[in-house]
Amino acid sequence: MLLNGVRTAALARSQRAGKDETECVMTVSLRESVQLVSDPRNLDASVEEVFQLMLGVDCKRECSPPVHEAESVTAVVGFGGVLSGACVFRSGARAALRVAALMTGMEFNGIDDTVMDAIGEIGNMLAGAWKGKVPNLAANCGLSVPAVISGRDYNLHVQAPEFQLHHVYRFEDASFEVTIICDGLQ
Amino acid sequence: MREIRTLIVDDSSVMRKIVERSLRQAGLDSLVVFEAGSGTDGLDVLRAEAVDLIVSDINMPSMDGLEFLRQIRAQNLAPGVPVVMITTESSEEHVKQAILSGAQGYIRKPFTAEQVKERVLPLVNAA
Repeated sequence: MLLNGVRTAALARSQRAGKDETECVMTVSLRESVQLVSDPRNLDASVEEVFQLMLGVDCKRECSPPVHEAESVTAVVGFGGVLSGACVFRSGARAALRVAALMTGMEFNGIDDTVMDAIGEIGNMLAGAWKGKVPNLAANCGLSVPAVISGRDYNLHVQAPEFQLHHVYRFEDASFEVTIICDGLQ
Repeated sequence: MREIRTLIVDDSSVMRKIVERSLRQAGLDSLVVFEAGSGTDGLDVLRAEAVDLIVSDINMPSMDGLEFLRQIRAQNLAPGVPVVMITTESSEEHVKQAILSGAQGYIRKPFTAEQVKERVLPLVNAA
């Protein structure tokens, strides 16, 4: 339900930008460049770029699973157009507070509207940077505004995507997950 | 140093603060900032205040940045005031649309203060 909503919003943005769904189907095929779209290095480069430029910290992919915290924050940014799906940023509360602090120069004691706003922007920039790595995506895939969820012990379930990238990253002593979900490619 | 009255339009309050900080780091110390969380609110600010610079996001709910730009021109608000778009959208098509809608500058997120300086200062100095 949630992903359907952000996908619809992203598609609407793509259409407002002057590209209707039919035009995208007729003029652009991402199927030929699916390997480029699903290249995991694009996601790593996007995360490193966003964290270095906006937060001023080095961020590296790691193989171990993220540290589980009961309270977490998730930002979902939908893709619409030649690719439908979503970019999902998820972190525990500690990493979310650190991200917000680095972005704003303020300290936070708990997850509030500003922290959720910051995490939404990080999700937005990650989605934009990731799709910008593939020219066809940059031009023909719209982004929704971020939806941000916070709470305890919840799961985000996605039904059998066409492909999915799921990476864990670490900065300073905090970790987070980024997932690219592609459930349709034209 | 002359005062630079700047309207920053972004649905994210965090991004508005980051843009303001980047403008100050770029050398615009004497900023007077007006903030708006949407294109609609931005138009209200322009009806009430004279500004020297407009910096706007594109992806915003209700009225996006491109429509905001078109409305500025259609309603003849802030004539001659430079507009810079700061957005995650980076394709040539998006840049073209922004320029056609009336923007003079375009900065892709994520950005550095140096990029803001390079693209905004010449516009402010020329205005």
